[in-house]
Amino acid sequence: MSAEHEQGVREGEAAREEDFEERRGPYDWSWLIMGARKAASLPGLVMAMSFIGFGALLHSMNLPLAFGVVTDVFVWALPGQVVMTDNVSRGLPLLVTAFAVSLTAVRLLPMVVLVLSRARREGNARWPEYIAAYFIAATIWVMAEMFMGQVPRRGRVPWLIGLGCALISAMSLFTIAGFYLTGMMPKPLAVTLVFFTPSFFLLALVGGAGPRMDWLAIALGLVIGPLTHLYWPRLDLLAAGIIGGGAAFALARPAGRSTA
Amino acid sequence: MSGMHAASWPGGGMWITVLAAGLAATYVWRWLGVLLVKRIDPRSPALLLVRAVATALVAALVARMVFFPSGLLAQTSLATRLAALGCGLAMWRLGGRKVEPSVAVTVAVFFILQLLS
Repeated sequence: MSAEHEQGVREGEAAREEDFEERRGPYDWSWLIMGARKAASLPGLVMAMSFIGFGALLHSMNLPLAFGVVTDVFVWALPGQVVMTDNVSRGLPLLVTAFAVSLTAVRLLPMVVLVLSRARREGNARWPEYIAAYFIAATIWVMAEMFMGQVPRRGRVPWLIGLGCALISAMSLFTIAGFYLTGMMPKPLAVTLVFFTPSFFLLALVGGAGPRMDWLAIALGLVIGPLTHLYWPRLDLLAAGIIGGGAAFALARPAGRSTA
Repeated sequence: MSGMHAASWPGGGMWITVLAAGLAATYVWRWLGVLLVKRIDPRSPALLLVRAVATALVAALVARMVFFPSGLLAQTSLATRLAALGCGLAMWRLGGRKVEPSVAVTVAVFFILQLLS
């Protein structure tokens, strides 16, 4: 087992070195299928739990299922979908709804930058990047951190698009399942399904943490998150990210310009 | 498709407008990300900052779900949520730093605690 692990680490390092040589050139679209297959993984399962929960939420709000499924396809970021569903069901003005949804989506910007900076290649048309970005949200960022090191640079953007297409299709089905299954599950089971989300995100962050800055960012996010939630409930995650992440960067960044 | 409609449900063409607004409101940030990524040197410290912000943001999401849960999770006790996560972190540290089995331990402990309480 440990030899396998070391082999994995060496391959990871090789892939990272390869990164710099491989940053120019065309994409290899045969990786589309490999990406689609990765939808069947632990992060995919965790995502399924969240979307079953979203289906249950639609049911409990007496909203049409079709609306929820269409937001899966057109919004594809669960916090935004929940805010949108909630606002629409309360009949709030469209501009207010759009603004609230947009606030929840600001967090997607750093995630798109992080994922694409490791995936894109120079010398190509940019449309594949715009498509790949369409799919990127928190879980796909974590999945890219976990799995994209094993994908050669030329295959990464196609891999992301394949993964995204497979996840959107699967999650639409899980939304439908959640809509109809809700209420049929015993409570301890139902609540455990919801608990998959914080469990997975915490362990994925811890598991993916390398340098000291990552650990600081995790610790500060955990501590500051509840505080910002009390003071700015609408902007809590964004505020915690900027304050906690900014502080982690300031405290742990490599000293001096010569080492940067 | 579904016969259920809330009283305030927008009819007819409003559907399309609502969805288009949701799409634009969300995608604009992804689109800005694509514009930005071309301008950032992959080796620049700016990316470290972006990574720290994303990491802290997701950690804050975890903390919010643990300390201020909504919906079903709000009906469980804070002690069971913390105990389960503690077991998962212990499993990660002592069990070879693997994410999947640690998540399995976390949710299994949580499930057992819910059955007992």
